[in-house]
Amino acid sequence: MDFLFEPHLHSDYPLPDVDHPLTRPFWEGCRAGELRIQRDPETGLHHWPPKPAIFRGKLLEWVAVSGRGTVFSYVVAREPFLPALRHLLPLVLVLVELEEGPRLVGYMVGCTPADMRFGLPVRVRFKVLTDRVTLPVWEPAP
Amino acid sequence: MALRPSPIDEDLFSRIRDRVAIVGIGQIGFSKDIGRPISATAIEAISLALEDAGLSGRDVDGMSMFEMERTHEVTIARGLGVENLRWWDKVSYGGGASCATVMHAAAAIATGLASVVVCHRARNRGAKDARPWAQEKDVVTDDKALHTPWGLIRPVDVIGMWAHRHMHLYGTRREHFGNVAVAARKHAQRNPQAMMRDRPLDMETYLAGRVIGEPLTLYDCCLETDGALACVVTSVERARDLRHQVVYVHSVAQASGPNPVHLANYNNAPDLLTTSTWCADQLWERSELAPKDMHCAQIYDAFTPLVITGLEDYGFCARGEGGPFTEGGRIELGGELPVLTSGGGLSEAYVHGFNLVLEGVRQVRGTSTAQVEGCRNVLVTGASGVATSALVLRGD
Repeated sequence: MDFLFEPHLHSDYPLPDVDHPLTRPFWEGCRAGELRIQRDPETGLHHWPPKPAIFRGKLLEWVAVSGRGTVFSYVVAREPFLPALRHLLPLVLVLVELEEGPRLVGYMVGCTPADMRFGLPVRVRFKVLTDRVTLPVWEPAP
Repeated sequence: MALRPSPIDEDLFSRIRDRVAIVGIGQIGFSKDIGRPISATAIEAISLALEDAGLSGRDVDGMSMFEMERTHEVTIARGLGVENLRWWDKVSYGGGASCATVMHAAAAIATGLASVVVCHRARNRGAKDARPWAQEKDVVTDDKALHTPWGLIRPVDVIGMWAHRHMHLYGTRREHFGNVAVAARKHAQRNPQAMMRDRPLDMETYLAGRVIGEPLTLYDCCLETDGALACVVTSVERARDLRHQVVYVHSVAQASGPNPVHLANYNNAPDLLTTSTWCADQLWERSELAPKDMHCAQIYDAFTPLVITGLEDYGFCARGEGGPFTEGGRIELGGELPVLTSGGGLSEAYVHGFNLVLEGVRQVRGTSTAQVEGCRNVLVTGASGVATSALVLRGD
């Protein structure tokens, strides 16, 4: 897996708390170049957004998923925008429906707004923001 | 088989339905930067609502407000001269709380926990540091960490995902969103309090609006307004002795929908449905009235597409037909279902939907500046998308 990099991280970038108990395994996966979401070991169903626990306090397991999906919806953001991401405008914010079912928020790389369409097959890439924070982003599937 | 919630207990709910009333409303002038603390504006707005009802602070024993409020209940109670606050409550999820403040008040009155409850929203957004990211913490936690780090932080983009999907699935067009913006603006021209009075908007101007987050433009977005508004809720028995025609709380509901998150609720259904879908089910199940009985609707309008989906969610038309429903002046005064008769969040003021509650009361009283002739029944809704709430108000 080739990582992408953000060479000039803005000092006000809204970085996630990668040590938060709810999402720590997700961010660990990203650092390892692997998209991980929750799954119920009993039913085999994937869960998203993550849950701190389920009924009776049972914990879901974190498993790697395909990293493939399709564009469920998207928005092309313009000014005024967050200073930390302004250099990416026009930014295609995307809602990806994974092959496994859940929908994840992200943004597109390697394509322009004109390339976008509903149902477009996409695959995950990983963009390194800091030594702790790596962000899954999406590009059109080859 | 999954257990389903018990059906509503009719006997218990009948303690609320038409047994509780909104008896007073009050607001101070809207502005872009009000220049006074929300503790002071809240007390003033609540006082105006009490005066409108013919009551005073000494009559108040309950208080219900948005969780977003930063003023302590006791501070307001002290200012109003409340002798003893016996019940209070703060409701979460931003604009999802607007109708719920009244719902909780009604429940408190119906169960005897309080006798006169004041509900309010006092908002100071001002011009300073108003962008959503200016209020963000350095490190994002919880649900927000699932969308903010990618730059999905402006509410217009969060709602844009729903709007764009709706356009894709049903052929909804920008002109349909424009019909909402134009109707709200038209109604605002009749409202001396509206921020957008004397600034009319036509479809041509709407369509030429600056793109903010494609497919949504400037005129799809609500205003940013400072203001303070309040209402007074009490029993119908007491309401009959007060100044105004009785405005009955007929039905109330709150709903989160399944698998909810704080804001970007994109995993609650096989397709993108807003939380209002579930709220509407509850609201009409508890109501003796149906969508066809509504004489107007104050549908939460932080962004124009929410009115289109709201018309569908609350049963005024079938799924996917919200866009065409707005055609031919149907949602304007004189049409079949006028919406946002004060101008709403789009053109009167954006105060997390509390102005919609007050407009619902005015329509039942017959005192709106865009009065629907013979109006008795009004739907008022809270923010779609977040965990939300709704009300049916009615008159005699």
